[in-house]
Amino acid sequence: MFAFIVRRLFLVPLVFFGTTLLIILLLQSLSPAQRAVAFVKSEAQLRNIDLIIKQYGLDQPFYVQYGKWLGQVAQGNFGFSKTVGEPVLTAFKRRLPNTIELAVLAFIPIMIIGIWLGVIAALNRDKFLDQLSRTLSIFFWSLPTFVLALWLLTVFYGGMGLFGLGQLSTEHSLDIIKPDFQRYTGFLTLDSIFNGRFDILIDVLYHLVLPVVTLVLISSAQIVRIMRSSLLDTLSQDFVRTARAKGLADSIVNRKHALRNALIPIVTLASFTLIGLFNGVIITETIFVYPGIGNWLASSAVQFDVPAVLAGAVFTAVTVVVANLLADISYALVDPRIRYN
Amino acid sequence: MKKVLSLLAALSLGLALAAGSDTFVYQSFGDVDTLDPAQAYDTASGQIVENVYETLFGYKGESVTEYEPRLAESYEMSADGLSYTFKLRQGVSFHSGNAFSCKDVEYSIQRALAINPADSGIGYTFGPTLTGYEVNANDALGEEATDDQYTEYWNLIDNSVVCVDDATVQFNLVSANPAFFAQMLFMGASIVDSQWAIANGMWDGSAATWRDWIGVDLREYHLQSNMSGTGPYSLVAWEPGIRVVAAANEAYWGGAPAIKNAIVQLVDDEAARIQALKAGDADEIVLGSRSSLPQVEGQPGVKVYDAFKDTSLGWASSAVNAVQMSQAINMEDNVNVGSGKLDGLGIPADFFSDVHVRKCFNYAFDRDAYINDVLLGAGSTITMALPKSYLGYDPNVPEYVLDLEKAEEECKQAWGGELWEKGMYLTITYNTGNTSRQTVAEILADNLEFINPKFTIETRGVQWSTFLDERGNKKLPVSIIGWVPDFADPDNFIHIFYASTGYYAGQNGYVNAAIDELDAQARVNPDAAARADLYSQIGKLAYEDAPYVLLPQGVPLLVMSDKVQGVYNNPNLSAGYLWKDITKN
Repeated sequence: MFAFIVRRLFLVPLVFFGTTLLIILLLQSLSPAQRAVAFVKSEAQLRNIDLIIKQYGLDQPFYVQYGKWLGQVAQGNFGFSKTVGEPVLTAFKRRLPNTIELAVLAFIPIMIIGIWLGVIAALNRDKFLDQLSRTLSIFFWSLPTFVLALWLLTVFYGGMGLFGLGQLSTEHSLDIIKPDFQRYTGFLTLDSIFNGRFDILIDVLYHLVLPVVTLVLISSAQIVRIMRSSLLDTLSQDFVRTARAKGLADSIVNRKHALRNALIPIVTLASFTLIGLFNGVIITETIFVYPGIGNWLASSAVQFDVPAVLAGAVFTAVTVVVANLLADISYALVDPRIRYN
Repeated sequence: MKKVLSLLAALSLGLALAAGSDTFVYQSFGDVDTLDPAQAYDTASGQIVENVYETLFGYKGESVTEYEPRLAESYEMSADGLSYTFKLRQGVSFHSGNAFSCKDVEYSIQRALAINPADSGIGYTFGPTLTGYEVNANDALGEEATDDQYTEYWNLIDNSVVCVDDATVQFNLVSANPAFFAQMLFMGASIVDSQWAIANGMWDGSAATWRDWIGVDLREYHLQSNMSGTGPYSLVAWEPGIRVVAAANEAYWGGAPAIKNAIVQLVDDEAARIQALKAGDADEIVLGSRSSLPQVEGQPGVKVYDAFKDTSLGWASSAVNAVQMSQAINMEDNVNVGSGKLDGLGIPADFFSDVHVRKCFNYAFDRDAYINDVLLGAGSTITMALPKSYLGYDPNVPEYVLDLEKAEEECKQAWGGELWEKGMYLTITYNTGNTSRQTVAEILADNLEFINPKFTIETRGVQWSTFLDERGNKKLPVSIIGWVPDFADPDNFIHIFYASTGYYAGQNGYVNAAIDELDAQARVNPDAAARADLYSQIGKLAYEDAPYVLLPQGVPLLVMSDKVQGVYNNPNLSAGYLWKDITKN
């Protein structure tokens, strides 16, 4: 098992060079003036476009630009993100905890609701509960995120004055920048507990309700569908029939024999869901003005903010490798037939 | 479900404490680029800089022609117009606690002139007036410059601003310039705390080290995200891409402001901003366009300041938009010009050098359709490329109106009749998402294709980066341009649009020697009435040449909470007003 993990982690540097080099090469299809878009806020600045290209070295060959970037990274400096106006690492430090908070708070209900509804649907095949959960999951799965998010925003926030935009109410957002509020971890939920400020904790959770509900409705729908078909598939297999023939109770057959096997595709799907959540849920974050990495990286891509895009790609690549690794390890846990040597 | 909702409602009552009456929340979609006044050029950065730092003089309320003293108390201009002496305000402190004196003025202006990054606004404003150079020494002198040339450049910087004593500063201009005073109101001329800046690693202000600082990226230094000014607000926190928080400077020389906390939040999505305004979480929001107005108008708690419906506001836009017709198209790999010949399948590089073509395009443009479709009725035509509120604007200069018969007549005369006979193909390119530009392109294309079926005008939407690239490389035969002034002087329009050395005219290849001569006179004449007359003459000559199709001007609009009082709209301030001037109840 250990050797397997180490072997997998060797992929990280490979993925690192692969993705970053690919991005740098893709950028070569753009002219220096196109790449200068990150520095041109207004068309009036086109007066100095040649000087701007020169000032930021945008006309240098790609290997010089890439080498410069690698040199910086070797010193622990991922460059400066022009989109937000601060170093890339500072922006990650500021935003990643927010994204993780949102991801974790959404991931747990997504999995619980998804698996639970999927199981109910499968066990009540073609009955009312099955039809209902299938209809709902198809509805939410096919619903574009921005439609659902805007609808929730308009009805609950605009219409009923419930929940809020961003991470905190105005009052509390002023509290947390006061010097007596210590940022121990960067996670606002944890920091408010450590500071004994439960009013802030409640406010943070309150502001997370709409984005979490959006993500749960959209993402659990997919889990429901896969869970249902996987469990139905397993239930029709020989070993389940054997278990029943042995005279085991239905509940034991379903839970111990069928469910554990049916969870294997869910583990894969769960890891993809988690990767998606960790890398920022762009639309949800943008609509609810949630300061995570999603809307930052999305706008940096549009603005050709190269250091931010490169760092974002590295981050995504690393999370994909790690999440796949975790998924592989979980296979071994849920499926006794799988062993890694 | 009912229980849950009532529980949530109860919870929200406890939580959704609407911002207090001393907190002002502004929501917009522009990222703040920098807090360093020598780097800032965009309005999102400008809004913060203008409230935290101060210039020597400032705009008086909403006027673009009247000024009021800020860090200076008075000034005098020498008879030849070559030097300005300012008496500085005494007893003023920076937010750091350091005392303000002339050395801060000297340091701040020299820092801007010496570093002058290519993407700042220094070279567009007071830079060339004080040193004669638009760009910094490295860019101006080139790679083979000698030490002597650098010394010469430095001497210009050094002599341009001189401390007579602690409370008196003298500016020396390379040539008289009536726009200098307006240029010094640009945020790039803000006074920073020199002692604090130097202590935090910024240039030390000396001749010995200045060359290391030329053209550096100021975003990598302390002043990028920290501020010490003298203004009515001090910076509390900048969370990039999220919000900026500023607090009232209780020791402000002009008295402590009523709004104690000012918060600028970045909310990219317009629907979210509208909901926040309705919920009372925002006191002002920026609308993407006038077409969103029905969503906020008449809503409880919302006050819309619309200078179109309420003419008593008297607010005017200072933007000029026009259709540019290039007489010097870059033909290399250019998809916008078809065959590149006047054969019905394209246009040649100098296609628009024939005045009949330009007049034909002018007569073919429907300005009423533009006012109705783009400005939603709120707008009016202009006679020259100058806002109506500016010195020199002459409403009596004739203007072009839609007249398809005249358009046909002009097009028939163009290129000795060849254009009418063979036809043309060209593309009007706009940046995707800019629906105003798209509409302009479509109006023009429809009418031109109508007068002659051999005319094919394609409208083409491209990505912003492609658009900038093609614009920058002069590949657009026809493009829709906009201009927002760098400083409030007619020179910043007339010279840019009409003088052959100006930015737009130069890019266009438009040359009229008579206009150049009048412009050169207006640039140095201190007499306002004489300048106004010169500009009016330029307007009349430009009418004959028709280098642009001038687009009607829109009307400003602010969307606020009805609790906010004292709002005004100065088109040269980034947000229209300063926080110190407003109150909230």
